[in-house]
Amino acid sequence: MLRKEQNDLVTQTGPGTPMGQLFRSYWIPALLSEQLPENDCPPVRVKLLSERLVAFRDSQGRYGLIDEFCPHRGASLWFGRNEESGLRCPYHGWKFDVTGQCVEVPSEPVESHFCDKIKLKSYPLVKRGPVLWTYMGPPEKQPPLPEWEFAMVPSDQVFVSKRLQECNWLQAMEGGIDSSHVSFLHRGDLNSDPLFKGAKGNKYNLGDLSPVFEVVESEGGLYIGARRNAENGNYYWRITPWVMPSFTMVPPRGDHPVHGHFWIPIDDENCWAYTYDYHATRPLTAEEREAMRAGKGVHSRNIPGTFRPAANKDNDYLMDRAAQKAGRTFSGVEGIAIQDASLQESMGPIVDRTKENLVSTDNGIIMARHRLMRAAKALVEKGVTPPGVDTAHQRVRSASVVLPADQPFKDAVKEALAVRPGMAHASV
Amino acid sequence: MLSESARMTTAAEAKFRINAPNSKPRAIKVIALDKRSEEVVKRLAREPWNKASFFASVHFDSPPQEGADWSMKTWLNDLAGRTSKLIDEISTADLVVMVVAAGSKAEAASVIGEACMLKRVMTTALILDRASASDTALSDTLLHLRPYASMLVVADDEDYIKSMLVALRA
Repeated sequence: MLRKEQNDLVTQTGPGTPMGQLFRSYWIPALLSEQLPENDCPPVRVKLLSERLVAFRDSQGRYGLIDEFCPHRGASLWFGRNEESGLRCPYHGWKFDVTGQCVEVPSEPVESHFCDKIKLKSYPLVKRGPVLWTYMGPPEKQPPLPEWEFAMVPSDQVFVSKRLQECNWLQAMEGGIDSSHVSFLHRGDLNSDPLFKGAKGNKYNLGDLSPVFEVVESEGGLYIGARRNAENGNYYWRITPWVMPSFTMVPPRGDHPVHGHFWIPIDDENCWAYTYDYHATRPLTAEEREAMRAGKGVHSRNIPGTFRPAANKDNDYLMDRAAQKAGRTFSGVEGIAIQDASLQESMGPIVDRTKENLVSTDNGIIMARHRLMRAAKALVEKGVTPPGVDTAHQRVRSASVVLPADQPFKDAVKEALAVRPGMAHASV
Repeated sequence: MLSESARMTTAAEAKFRINAPNSKPRAIKVIALDKRSEEVVKRLAREPWNKASFFASVHFDSPPQEGADWSMKTWLNDLAGRTSKLIDEISTADLVVMVVAAGSKAEAASVIGEACMLKRVMTTALILDRASASDTALSDTLLHLRPYASMLVVADDEDYIKSMLVALRA
């Protein structure tokens, strides 16, 4: 449970809010690079942290993320002409470069330098992996570029998708660090999904339906360890890292690619779920890519041409009560991503946490909220850089391992929980 | 026409959520297992709580042994110095939280854990001061706690215990 003022603190991310300021400390995903596929391609509307922006790629391949609205009379630059190293408003021809600097005002004499006085708010936009990242904080505090492993491996080893989730970012992210729902909501998918099945470790999931959870703080956030009984008195651990503010990585199964998410606030009632899948040491196979594109694993099948899932609230998530009754799905909704999204959206645009009744297995969520609130307050009150900004915190992996019963997992597999270039994830 | 899900997930509809208590206060018993955690538990006990109660120490009529019925012969001291039988306190608990410093042997965990298993009460163990204990010492603590904790948390700062108890409506 949170008090109302605490719930407001963790859910509101617009300009001037503490959590908004926290998000602005980081490089965050702004678009998929495929959304700006070539120089002078059409601009794209982008809304992030409750700010309306437009993204474009100019004639020289430079990326820009600028205020959406022309400073002349407020027309949307989504209608803009992307040409000759700038975005030109079609209304009166005002033109802007990727920094938001106005470079032409056709109705004014060039000698007046009127355009020098006009500059739109802009944020840096850079490509790392298949994602375009932006940093929306003070320029003097801009951190080093992100070093998440999925963004650093060769392009044939990674796949990233994106979907709209129509609820606040936090209730979406909390699903990613809530290990106890997997045995219920996603019960049907473990043995049937092509991106999960066949792993040796699955036998431990099926043999012990009552995992015990441990939550351990880390420098960048926390680890959640789910332990199950293995042979010879050992434990099978599945270890999930959460790095602030909203990164998670699911523990691997066998040699399948490893996946995880970022949840990025669009505004206080909507967020993007960026979902990555990558393998540290080999290219993804054609079958794996096809499965991801088809919405298998933790990806979603989207309406063509959009990032909105095909199963969404407008069609009751394609609810199938017969499948629910027959046990093919637990909730009647198909697909891991939409199984999560449907329940998280059903909580309302911003869930009222004053009405919660948490239990001890929710300690991952409790700890994450605790750390987020503490980090936001320390940033606002004392200027303390939050965890997760340091690229060392981003070079993290998940792991699935078998360990003796007395081992603290965070220390016993310390090396496996960090990126080791050229080595595969620790996996069973 | 909007689907039912589309209508019902709006902010406007969220206002119609029933505004009445949906649970009764939980009896959470917080037990310190060593001197260090006793200091923390004493500080926590000074805050206002719903139905949480705090115990500063555990003592036995004679040294505990695993496997024997020691939960019946174990006593808890609350912060006012009153003594009560462990099994009686467990019987009225919804959750038992054991607080222990990393490196502590936490011997009482087995006795408390047995009592909780007998009475089907969930246990959570919170380990403090991780940074000041060696890996070997922490392993020792984990070995004693893991068989008896349904949930285990290693927290870097003791403020987390209060956050957890508030989150659980203690």
